Order: sequence, then C-alpha cells, then structure tokens
Amino acid sequence: MTNTWIVAVSPQISALIDTGRALGGTVTAVVAGTDPSRFLGVDRVIAIAAPEGVPAEALAPSVASAVAAQAGDVVLVANRPSERVLAGAVAAKLGAPILTGAKVIGKETAEISRYGGVTQQTISLAQPVVLVVDGGTAPSGNAAASETVQAEPYAATVTSTDASSVAQVNLSAAKRIVAVGRGFKSEADLQLAKDLAAAIGADLACSRPIAEGSGWLARDRYIGVSGQHVAPDVYIALGISGQLQHTVGMTDSRVVVAVNSDEHAPIFAGSDYGIVGDIYTVVPAITAAVK
Amino acid sequence: MTIVVAYKYAANPQDASVGSDGRIDWSRAKETVSEYDPVAIQVGRQLADAAGSELVGITVGTTAANSSLARKGALSRGLDRAVIVADDAVRDWAPTRVGSVLAALVERIGDAAIVLTGDASVDEGAQVMPTVIAGYLGWPCFLEVISVAQTADGWELVQAHEGGTRTIALAGAAVVSVTTDATEARTPGMKDILAAGKKPAEEVALADLDAAEVDLTVTAHSRPATKAREHQVFSGDDAPAQLVAALRSVGVL
Repeated sequence: MTNTWIVAVSPQISALIDTGRALGGTVTAVVAGTDPSRFLGVDRVIAIAAPEGVPAEALAPSVASAVAAQAGDVVLVANRPSERVLAGAVAAKLGAPILTGAKVIGKETAEISRYGGVTQQTISLAQPVVLVVDGGTAPSGNAAASETVQAEPYAATVTSTDASSVAQVNLSAAKRIVAVGRGFKSEADLQLAKDLAAAIGADLACSRPIAEGSGWLARDRYIGVSGQHVAPDVYIALGISGQLQHTVGMTDSRVVVAVNSDEHAPIFAGSDYGIVGDIYTVVPAITAAVK
Repeated sequence: MTIVVAYKYAANPQDASVGSDGRIDWSRAKETVSEYDPVAIQVGRQLADAAGSELVGITVGTTAANSSLARKGALSRGLDRAVIVADDAVRDWAPTRVGSVLAALVERIGDAAIVLTGDASVDEGAQVMPTVIAGYLGWPCFLEVISVAQTADGWELVQAHEGGTRTIALAGAAVVSVTTDATEARTPGMKDILAAGKKPAEEVALADLDAAEVDLTVTAHSRPATKAREHQVFSGDDAPAQLVAALRSVGVL
C-alpha cells in the first residue's frame, strides 16, 4: 500500500490529495506553521506549530522529523518556494531523491519529465521519493484528526512584510492567455497586448525577462520551467522567441499562436497558427479583427 | 569567515540531442557556468568585499567541471578560489546525492557563513539544490531572495513572497538562493580571464567526501510525444483577419 505524505504551508494542495487518493493508502498532511483546520480531505494532519513571525522555512527540521515515510511511500510537495525548502529537508533526512516534473504518479513507478522536458524517465517508487509538483487549489472534504507538534525552529524571524498592491493571478486555470516577450521594447508598449487580452477575455502572461530583470509584469505571470505551467485553450505568444525554458511551461496548450518578426524563431515550430511580422502593427490589427 | 557560492557547470538541454529512445546525447551541447549562477557569484563578491572575507566557489560535476575553460569561466566572474569535485560518476546521480557532496564541501571549507546559489540550473531547472544542501548542513534555507545583507549575528534577507516581499532576520549561517535580478552579473573582461588563470582551484576526489546513499532507479527512458501542431502561417495584409477566423473556426475565440 502506497501511503502519501503531503508537506504543505498553503492549503492549495487539492492536486496532491487527488494523487494520494488514487494511490489508495493513507494521506497524511504535515502542515508547517499555519492553521491546520484548512487542510480538508486528508486522513491525518500533523501540525508543526511555531511562534508568530517564524517563517515556514525555519520549521524544516521539525517537518523532516514528522515525515516518517517508509519504503514504497511517496512524499508530495507543492512547487512553491517555502514548500520546496521543506521538501529538500525531507529528502536529505530520508536520503530520498527529490524530483520535479512528475507527469504520472503510479503505485510503483512515476513518469518524470526532465531537462526542460526533452526527455521522460520512468523511476521506481520502491524507495521513498519526494516529488515536487503543482499543488492545485484549496481542498474540500472533511476535517481530519489533527495532532500538534511544537517546532524547534531555526533562529529566523519575519521582521516586515510588504504586500503586493497587485492581485495574485492563477494562470493555471486560464482559458485564454496572451503572453509577451522581449519583442516589446518598453513597458508602455505592453498596452498593445493588454488591449488584445481585454478584447478576447484573456489573462496576460510573459516570458522570464519581462518579469525578472525588466520587472514589467509580476513574477507569478511568467511561464516557463521554473515559472508557471499552463494549458489554456489558446496561447498567443507575442514577441517570444520560444526558448525551451519557456515553451516547457506552455506546451500543453490546446492551440498555440505566435507573432514574431523572426521567421526562424523556434516558437513557430510549436505553433498552430503564426504571423511573421512586427508585433507593433500585427497585434493592433488582430485586436481590431476580433472587434 | 567565508562566503561560499555553489555553482553548476552545465549545458543547455536545448542544445542536446535526444534519441528516439529518449536518451540524451550531450556531446554537442557546450557546458558553461549555468545561466543564473553568475548573479549568485556577483552577490557573493559584494558580500565578501563588504566583510573583507574570501569568496569561494564550489561545484560538483563531471570531469568537464575541472577543465581549464570551466575553472576560468567560474573564477573570472569574481571568485577568489574554487573547490571542485569533477567525476563522471555524478552524471546520473540523484540531485539529493549531489547536494550531500556540496554540503560536504561546505563543511570542508569550515568557516562558511553563507552558501549562495543561483535561481535555477540551466539543465534541470528544478530549483531544489539549495534546499538539499541546507538539509544536509542543518542550516535554514531561503529561496527567491532579492537582497542579502550581513548583520551582527547573521543575515537580513529580503525575499519575494506571495507577489510582494518580506524581510527575514536570521542568526547564524544559511543557504540562500538569489533571484535572477538580485544584482547585475558582470561580464568578465580579458583582464579577469587572465587573472582567473592564476587563482587557486582545488580538486577534491569524490572518495574523500561522504556522499549520501540515495536510491534513484530509472527503469525506462522515453522521448515525450510532441503535440501535433498545424504550422499554418498567415501572410499579407489580411493575415490578422485570417488568424481570427481560424481561431473562431476551431472554437477557441
């Protein structure tokens, strides 16, 4: 029987619970420094309690001690920064592999996409494995029996928080996405893409340099190997060359559209429809055609 | 006190070829200091200069990681010296095992106050190596850190967090992964590359380090099925209209 251990800070773990249920064994959530009552739909909750102001990352040793995974068990962790830290501590404690990119998780093996998705490996789950995967949404179901362990945290304190004025987006649920890349020369020019997105009811996304470095869009809008992974009905890539590290995050989209001035841009190889041209003239024309 | 940067000498999978059996042929892909690691080295340089301490790079890779080109590539970016494990045996190791060796190198240096890493490696892109190193060292770990400053008893970090930021004060040593835009990585000039040739790089044998036993059994390789695409390119003045018509006909607009 494959038992599942879920390590979590945020209750957005529905996909992990679904996997645990499909595997059939007991599903235990080890919850770090947050209200355990929000973790519905699991069999058992181990709450690692910490004083106010201690970041979840500082609870890593207590979390690692609580995950008593046996041979054949699987440890699932949502791919979010605080939770990855806990996953690494668990992997080191168990001497277990830690892998991202699991496509299929079965009772005996898992299919792992590796190296930017260029290859897939089937790995044995005979020994405990820590899999870092998309967490999903908030779970539903019954509240589970919960036990509390007092943490022995590392000496770290959150001294201040500067909340974003920008609302968080959940691109994984988006049906239509308009994504912008380095073809845009200035932040103001993104308005062209925003107009198209508004016209078709799409969410705005981007390639990595637009979110980091230039900082024109929030980090949670960039698509790629270490960013968001999306699968909308239509993905419209504007001024994105299509490097592997980007396309791995959108390759499951149903229909892909590319607009790029370089006819040799790799994005066209993975596209259904394309226009070779200047985004500054083509994008407003698409918006006009929609209207 | 020493500032340590863990870097990876790796190739971009985009440049590798994948056989029909899913096995990767890396022979034509050129390895370099991984894409985002120069940012971590530069952050380390600034911290080391501010504290008057030494900046040491550590890496665990195949024999290529200790080539003259690899050593110069890393040292020219601002390291004072490098400690290198270069053994082809590590190619198929689980990341956890590689992390245990990196942690062993940190312990060997002895007085490390912080271990910095880049945001993600160019080949795996998994963003887990710093967390495993921290797990083996028994140190706290923070990812997506925008800025690092030394304090009397440890470090103050500003971390990207839930769309905003938060500031964390911590006592003692830590493993910290910096964002790709934490600072601007310097492009080494000819002077840096020449100076790098004179900087010390020590190779440590794998046998002299205590690597964790980690069982990762790969039972099969396969080449992922690529989704069939239409590859239809519209041209001419009415290309935008043709595109919109096509998207409507397949029911996505």
